[in-house]
Amino acid sequence: MLTAMAKPTELLQGTLDLLILRTLESGPLHGVGISDRVEQVTKGVFVVGPGSLFPALHRLSENGWIKGEWSELENKRRVKTYILTAAGRAQLAEEKRNWKRVFTAMNRVLAEEV
Amino acid sequence: MFPFGRLRTLLKSWFQRAALEAELDAEVRSYFEIMVNRYVGQGLPEQEARRLARLNFSSPDQVKEQVRDARAGAGISSLTRDVAYSLRRLRKAPAFALVTVLTLALGIGANATIFSIVSRFVFRPAPVGDPSRLMALHTTHQAECCNNFSWPLFSDVREQAQSFSGVAAYNELVPASISGQGEPERVWGQAVTANFFDVTQTGMTLGRGFRTEEENLPVVILGHALWRQRFGGDLNIAGKAVTLSGRSFTVVGVAPPSFRGVDSILYCQFWVPLGNIDHLLPNTSNRVSYNYHWLAVVGRLKPGVTQAQTTVELEILARRITKAHADVQYDDGFRFERAGSLPPRDKAAVMLFLAALTLVALLVLCIAGANVANMFLAQASGRQREIAVRLALGATRRHLLHQMLTESVLLALGGGLLGVALSLWATRSLAAFRFPAPVPLDLSVNVDGRVLLYTFALSMATGILFGLAPAWTVVRPIIANGLKGEDMLARPGRLWSLRNALVISQVAMSIVLLCATGLFLRSLENASQIDIGFRSRGILIMAVDPRLHGYSPERTTQFMNTLRQRVAALPGVTSATYTDSVPLSGGGRGESFHAESQPMPSRADVTTELYMTGPDYFQTIGTPILAGRDFMNESATGPKVAIVNQAFAERLFKNENPLGQRVTGRGVTYQIVGVAKNIKARFLGEDFMPVLYRSLAQDIAGDPSFTGYRIMVRCERDPGAVGSALRREIHALDPTLAIFDAETIEEHLRDALFLPRLAGTLFGTFGFLGLALAAVGIYGVMNSWVSRRTREIGIRLALGARVTEVQWLIVRQGMLLTGFAVIPGLAAAWAVAKLFTSVLYGVRPHDPPTFALVPLFLAAVAAIACWFPARRAAGTEPLDALRHE
Repeated sequence: MLTAMAKPTELLQGTLDLLILRTLESGPLHGVGISDRVEQVTKGVFVVGPGSLFPALHRLSENGWIKGEWSELENKRRVKTYILTAAGRAQLAEEKRNWKRVFTAMNRVLAEEV
Repeated sequence: MFPFGRLRTLLKSWFQRAALEAELDAEVRSYFEIMVNRYVGQGLPEQEARRLARLNFSSPDQVKEQVRDARAGAGISSLTRDVAYSLRRLRKAPAFALVTVLTLALGIGANATIFSIVSRFVFRPAPVGDPSRLMALHTTHQAECCNNFSWPLFSDVREQAQSFSGVAAYNELVPASISGQGEPERVWGQAVTANFFDVTQTGMTLGRGFRTEEENLPVVILGHALWRQRFGGDLNIAGKAVTLSGRSFTVVGVAPPSFRGVDSILYCQFWVPLGNIDHLLPNTSNRVSYNYHWLAVVGRLKPGVTQAQTTVELEILARRITKAHADVQYDDGFRFERAGSLPPRDKAAVMLFLAALTLVALLVLCIAGANVANMFLAQASGRQREIAVRLALGATRRHLLHQMLTESVLLALGGGLLGVALSLWATRSLAAFRFPAPVPLDLSVNVDGRVLLYTFALSMATGILFGLAPAWTVVRPIIANGLKGEDMLARPGRLWSLRNALVISQVAMSIVLLCATGLFLRSLENASQIDIGFRSRGILIMAVDPRLHGYSPERTTQFMNTLRQRVAALPGVTSATYTDSVPLSGGGRGESFHAESQPMPSRADVTTELYMTGPDYFQTIGTPILAGRDFMNESATGPKVAIVNQAFAERLFKNENPLGQRVTGRGVTYQIVGVAKNIKARFLGEDFMPVLYRSLAQDIAGDPSFTGYRIMVRCERDPGAVGSALRREIHALDPTLAIFDAETIEEHLRDALFLPRLAGTLFGTFGFLGLALAAVGIYGVMNSWVSRRTREIGIRLALGARVTEVQWLIVRQGMLLTGFAVIPGLAAAWAVAKLFTSVLYGVRPHDPPTFALVPLFLAAVAAIACWFPARRAAGTEPLDALRHE
C-alpha cells in the first residue's frame, strides 16, 4: 500500500488510515494535498500514490470519519476536499493511543536486543 | 457490530451507483489534472506532463476498480453479477433448470405442506389480543393432567390468584338451535363469564363485548361466519333479537372472523353469558358442586409477572384450597400453558405424528436434493473446459464456488416458489379429510407467514447444501487428466465417488419411505375390510335435538316414535329406527357396569359403550341378535331391559348364560334380554369393546343425550329422494326443528377411516415421490456413466464383446449400487417402523410381506431405470466411439 522511497518497508495495517486522519487534523485538504503533505512531513519516507490513496479515502468516508466536499480552487478547477468529522477525531485519538502503545512496545523489544 | 453509517452508504451505493461512479470519475480526473498542472508548472511541455502523470498514476481505471472493491456495495454488486451470470447460463440450459426446479419443488412442496400443519397446530397463537400473556389453566390430581374447573374452584382462583389481571371461565361447547328467518339450524357455541372478552382482549367486529351486569341476561355475540351466512352480514344486527333454542336473545356484538374460541381446534359460532347455561343445557348436575368439572379457564398474566412466579403462586394457592376443602376438593394442583395450545391430553400423540410426517417429508427432500446434486455433477462434467479456462485466466476457486452456489441457490429458490404453489393446492385438498367427531372442529390448514419463512429458509439451506458438494468437486478438477483429454472430475481408484454415494443414500432413503408406504397401505386395506359388525351401505341418518326446543323427555320419545312410523311407511324405505348416536363416531357415551350376581369383593367393573335404541334398531343397522330377543316396545316406566354384545357377555359372565342376568351401571339396573354380535363402537382400530343397548323410551329422562337423536332409515336405493322425504316428514311434525348431521352410512364410514386414509394418502404420495425421484437418480447416474465410458464400450464391442454382455455390464453396475443400499435402508426402515405401531390397523410394524416385497419392487424399478442407458450403450457404433473426441 505504501511505498517507502529509500527502500520499501512493510508497514502495519491501518497505518495509512492514521496518516490520512492525522494529516487532515490540521485542516481540510484535497487528494493531491494529502499526498504532498505526507511526503513533506515524512521527509519523503512515505509516498502515497493514488492507487492506495483513493480506496483509503473512500473507506474512511464510508466509516464516517472524514467527509468529502466539492470546492473550487483559485483557477476555477473543481476538487474534492476532505475534512475530519467529529467521529474521525475520536477515531484519530484512538489510533494515536494504539500507535503509541505499539511504538513503545516495539521500542522496548528493540532496546532489549541491544 | 455493524456500523449503521456503513449500512447507509451500502444502501446509498446500491441505489445511487451511477451518481457515485460519476463522482469518482470526476475526483480521479481532477487529481490527474492537478498533477499535469504541476508538471507544466515545473516547465515541462503539456504533452510530456500528461505522459508523466499517467505513468505516475499507473492507470486511472485500475484506481477506480480498487475504490469500487473497497466500497461497501462491492459484495452486492458481485452478487448481482453472479446472479445475472447464473440466470444467463440457466437460460441456455432450460431443460436442466426445469427438471431441477420441478424436482426441488416436489421435495420442498411436501415439506411446506407438512409444515403448514405443524404451523397451524403447534405454532399458531390463540386469536386473541397479546396471546403470549393469556394462559389456559387446568387442574391436576396428583400431578396427573388434566381436568376442567368446578364452579367453586374457579371462584377461588379468580378471587385469590394475584398473578392474573383477569380470570375468565367458559363452558367449551353448548349446542343450540337457532331459528327465525330461514330453516332452523343447530349451531355450537360457548357460555362464558361476562369478563371473557375483556380477559382475552378480543375486539368485536361489530357492537361490543359483554358487560359485567349482563352475566345472567339473554344477550349473545355472534360468530363472524354465522353472522355472514345466516344474517347476511346485517350491519345493524346489534340490538336485534335472535331465537336460540326457543328463547329470545339480544345480539350485542359480532366476533372477528379469526375468533372461533380460544381453543385451537374447536369451532364455535356464538357466545352467551354463563348465566344462560341452564336454559341451553337443562337437566344437568348441580353446577355449583365441587364434583362437577364443567369450566375451562383462561387467565391474563399481569404485566411484569413471569410464568415462574405464576407457577409458584398457583402451587401455594392449590395447597391452601385443598386444605380448606379437603373433604370435597378432588384435584390438588394447577397447570397452565399458553392459551390456544393443543389439548394437553392429545399433545404428545399429535406431536409424534407431526414429527414422523416432518421426518418423512425431509426424507423426500433429501432424495430430491441428492438428485439435484447429481444433475449438477453431470452438468458440470460438460463444463469442465469452461472451468479450467476460467481457473487458468485467474479466477479464484472461491469465486467459482460462489458462482456455482449462486446457481444452485437460485434453482432452489425457484423450487421453493413452485413448492409453495404446490402446497397451496395440497393444503386445500387436505380439507377433504373430515375428522369424525360429534363436536364442531376447525382443522383447516393454510399456508401462512410462518410457512413462507420456513420454506424460504429450507430452500436456501437446500440450495447451499446440495450445491456445495458438487461445486466443491467441480472447482478442483484434476488438471493432469484434462491435459490428456480425459475426464477431469473422475477420481480413479475411488470406490465411493460422490455420485455413487448420493445414489446409494437415495435408494436407501426410498426403501425407508416405501416400507412406510407399504405398511400404511396395508393398514388402509385392512381397515376398510375390518368387520365392523353393522351394515356399511344403504342407511340414511339425520339428527334432531328436540330437547333444545323445550321438548320434555316424554314428548321427545313420542316425537321420535311418530316420526319413525311415518318414515317407515315411505316408499323405498325397508325399515326405520332412532338412536342417540351411530357407532364409529369417534366417541360416545360410556359407563362402568358390573353384574348383580357377582359377590362384592371380586366384582369386576367393565367400561361399556352405551347406545339408546328405538324399535327395529337391530334390523335397520344390520347387527344380528345372536341369543334372546329384541326390544318389544317396553314401557317407559316398566322394569329396564338391555341387550348386550358378545364382548360384554364374555367379560362379565365368562361361560355363564347372560340372558336374564341383571347388570348395574351408575345406579341403574337392567335385565339382559338378548345378546348381539360385536361391533366397532368408537374407532376402527379398537378391539371389540363391551356394548350395552338400552331402550330410548326407558332412559331418555334419566340420561339425556347432548348430541341430539338420530333417525336411521334403511333404504335400498335412491337415498336422495328418501332424504328429502325424510326432511319433509320432520318439518311436517315440527317446522322449527333444526336438522343436522345428515349423512349416509357410506359417508359416515368414510369419515371413520379418517386416520388410515390420511396416513395412507400422505405416505402413498411421499412413497411414490421418493420412488420416482430415486428411479430418476439411478437413471441419471447410469446414463452419465455410459456417456463417460462410451470409448471403453466401443473398444469392448470392437474386440468382439456381445451386445448382451455390454448391457449386462451396465445393468449389473446399477444393481450393485441398489444392492449396497438395501441393507442400510432396510435397517433404517425397521427402526422407523416401530414408531408407527400405534397407528397401524391389523398390521404388525415389521410386517414380513412389506419388508420382503419393498426391496424386490425397488430392484425391479432400478433395473428398468438402468435398462434405458444400457440400451443406449448397446447401440454404440464401435467406430464412432473410437473417433469420439
